Amino acid sequence: MIRLNGIAVKFGDFTALHDINVHVEEGEFFTFLGPSGCGKTTTLRTITGFIQPVAGSVVVKGKDITHVPIEERNIGIVFQSYALFPTMTVYDNIAFGLKLKKLKKPEIAKKVEEIARKVDLSGEQLKKAVSQLSGGQQQRVAIARALVTEPSIICMDEPLSNLDAKLRVQLRNELKQMQKDFGITTIYVTHDQEEALTLSDHIAVFNKGAIEQIGTPNEVYNHSATEFVCNFIGDIDLLGAEAVSALNRAGGRLDPAANNYIRLERIHVNVDPKPGNVVLEGMVDGLEYYGLYIKYYIRAAGQIVKVIEKNDGVNIYEAGQNVRVVMDPRDVMAYPAT
Amino acid sequence: MTKTRGRMGPTLLLKIFGLAFFAYLFLGFMLLPCLNTLASIFNTKNASGVTDPLAVIRFFFAGNMGSFVWNSLKLAVCLVVTVNIVGVSIVLLTEYFDIKGARILRLGYMTTLIYSGVALVTGYLFLYDSNGILTTLLAEAFPGMDPNWFSGFNAVLFTMTFACTSNHALFLRNAIRGIDYNTVEAARNMGARPFKVLWKVVFPTLIPTMFSLTVMTFITGLCAMSAPTLLGYDSINPEIVRLAGSSSADEAFPQARAALLSIILALFTIVLLTVLSSYERRGHYLSVSKTKAKLQKQRIDTPLWNILAHIYAYILFIIYMIPVVMIVIFSFQTFGAIRMKKLDLSNWTLINFFGSQDYQYLTNRGTYKTRKGSISGLFANEATLGGIKLSFVLSAIAAALACVIVVVACNYIFKNRNKKSGTLMEYCMLFPWLLPTILICYSYRVYFNSNDVWYVGGTNLYYAGHVRLLIVLAYTVVKLPFSLRMIKAAFYAIDEELEDAARNLGSSPLVTFLKVKLPIILPSVLAVFALNFNALFTEYDMSATFASSYGTTYAMVIQSMCREEGLYGYNVNASGRRCASTVFIMVVSGIILYLVYGVGARDLGERLEAKDRRRKRLERLKGLGRRRKEAAV
Repeated sequence: MIRLNGIAVKFGDFTALHDINVHVEEGEFFTFLGPSGCGKTTTLRTITGFIQPVAGSVVVKGKDITHVPIEERNIGIVFQSYALFPTMTVYDNIAFGLKLKKLKKPEIAKKVEEIARKVDLSGEQLKKAVSQLSGGQQQRVAIARALVTEPSIICMDEPLSNLDAKLRVQLRNELKQMQKDFGITTIYVTHDQEEALTLSDHIAVFNKGAIEQIGTPNEVYNHSATEFVCNFIGDIDLLGAEAVSALNRAGGRLDPAANNYIRLERIHVNVDPKPGNVVLEGMVDGLEYYGLYIKYYIRAAGQIVKVIEKNDGVNIYEAGQNVRVVMDPRDVMAYPAT
Repeated sequence: MTKTRGRMGPTLLLKIFGLAFFAYLFLGFMLLPCLNTLASIFNTKNASGVTDPLAVIRFFFAGNMGSFVWNSLKLAVCLVVTVNIVGVSIVLLTEYFDIKGARILRLGYMTTLIYSGVALVTGYLFLYDSNGILTTLLAEAFPGMDPNWFSGFNAVLFTMTFACTSNHALFLRNAIRGIDYNTVEAARNMGARPFKVLWKVVFPTLIPTMFSLTVMTFITGLCAMSAPTLLGYDSINPEIVRLAGSSSADEAFPQARAALLSIILALFTIVLLTVLSSYERRGHYLSVSKTKAKLQKQRIDTPLWNILAHIYAYILFIIYMIPVVMIVIFSFQTFGAIRMKKLDLSNWTLINFFGSQDYQYLTNRGTYKTRKGSISGLFANEATLGGIKLSFVLSAIAAALACVIVVVACNYIFKNRNKKSGTLMEYCMLFPWLLPTILICYSYRVYFNSNDVWYVGGTNLYYAGHVRLLIVLAYTVVKLPFSLRMIKAAFYAIDEELEDAARNLGSSPLVTFLKVKLPIILPSVLAVFALNFNALFTEYDMSATFASSYGTTYAMVIQSMCREEGLYGYNVNASGRRCASTVFIMVVSGIILYLVYGVGARDLGERLEAKDRRRKRLERLKGLGRRRKEAAV
């Protein structure tokens, strides 16, 4: 569907992107994830044509569109700020692209009403000015405006970052549902790993203008290709020499010279060890209370090990309490030390 | 960053044409005429016809020319003191201290926004002149009083002190309203007394604004025109205008002297503005708080001080309001009442506005003579109506031209905002700001008063009706810097993603500009147009410099109404028309300011809400009518 072949972008002397290769399948929800300034938005803007790459090509459905003008690409975009036209009503905002396509008035009205229904905007809201709508409603308008021209691809540039936490989660689910219903190929940019993991079919993790890993959420999370990816996504414990040798004694084959990581939720407290597991004696140093779960800081094997325990009323420990920490060497992700 | 294929031919052509236009505008109508003025100082010929480059400068130090500069400086320095005292007072009294009736007081203090310049000065003359209403009243009360107190320096200082507080009323008010009230509360909490808070916490945050206002006031004082001209004070500007109209047969090289004076004025302005902008660039105390608390009015606790503050506030209010009230009242009085400066509460008339009456007067032969329709209203008097029409047309054209030029320039500046070409364009458009208006106008008058300027087709633009074109050109050029600053701010407020969004939805750059960007900046552009028009409609300084029978603008007509009236049946009821003119100007300005700041400031949402409210009100009325009908049935 979309292929980026060896894309490079420069701003003056600064290389913003180098050798970006991505393949997005038809109907897929594909996320560009990374910290700010990593090049994910630049890549998105290269696909929509706002930025011209100095090398490489953008191919959509087998057609090279690298030099096709922005307005002829028919790739929808939802902006971080929504970029709704403040001088137009909601209806006129959505109808803007259709009017430019010189569609007849009744046809425009029909299409606008149809898409408004799908994104859950009422007829009353269509008559309003954009500024009279709430953040969540404005977001729906932005999506409706991007979808109404029936683009083959829709790009979203951090579309949820302007909303408060609760609405963000709610709209995230709606967004996924809408994408499923429309079946439209979606490219989504975010720095929020939770958003990326819950929404995506595939994730490309960006760092310093290059892609570190492309994979499914599970691949990226549990089999991070690079040290950067495993650190960027989720919380993780870096294991010290004492813990590594203990794991090796239990049958692990870890390289003590490498950086060995283990996810917090893969460490268990006061459970019966399975064959091949290692047990370390420790003491609760402190804890952070999150409601849904509790994060414990446990002093064991000469370091602080972070552990997540579900707040289910069963495994509740207090600071100073002696505990047993159980882990499996197979859960360890190792990267050569740099 | 973005590139589009094709269509480069016409686009490139348009760009070249546009840049050529701006080069023509800048070189032809800003740089060359002013350079010519500068050069003319050194082209003076002495009595024997030999060029003597330093003749004017020697004359300056030998003669009395220095006194004009000195007078202007004296006025500027005194104005800085008096205007700041009054300006700070009116803002503190209405915004900071808890004074009873602050809303009414504010309206009074802000009257200078709707009438200024020549209308205000003639209004003051009407009241305080040796036979003015107030002076007559005061002289009756205090027989020892000098009836001619209102003339020269005192009169100019008095008038301008109260006329030039508009900027304080706008900008200092905003600054004081921007203060985070929590800082005031914190100071009080730590034990500071209210006046200590004012001095140590509030004033320091106002210093940047005060500094700008001081520089602007100083320049206003230096470049004063209407007040010194009408009230008789020998400052630089009136002298330049006088010299420009003089000939070398009457005095030694008047043109070169005028040029020298205008260059001196320009030097002062440039130095002051450079100081101001370097000060502004140093950065200011910015409020660091994210959650500002709204300022609450401070009650003055000591009863004595509280009473004194109230008295002071209302005395200022009376000074501001008397001219307005008197002029409004007298504009509806008969010719006789105005002549006698006596209110006649039983006799009101609209003659000063509409219609005409016959006028009977005694000739020196002892017979009565009647002039038909000699007493005429503002809109019936041919000369006045002509002035209004001319000013209306010239101001509207110039205001619109300035807006169009600036919108195009801003689009260019915005597109090239990180390039040298964008900065160059911006500086070119700001150039007239550096120069006193009088220098630009005087330069136009001299430079274009010739058939040798090839780039205007060898036409003498100061000749006959062409002078109107010259006035429009001067109006436009002088208004460019202000328009640029306002419209550029509007351009920078546009979210860049909007342009991307429009392009993404399939619109070309031109359609994007017309359908997305222009509607967003349009309210600002219209506001700038209205403010430009408002300023130019009663503009005096420039039209006085271009004084010509083909270019008699409204302000010039008003000025001519100050001449002795009723003599031999001419210029009858000029004072009445003068009052009516001031009322007319106040109404026009009031409407424009209401449209700009009241209606124009609303966004689409607010407009739709207002429309909704109107619709509901109408429905309620209809419902009421229907119910009544039903009840009647």
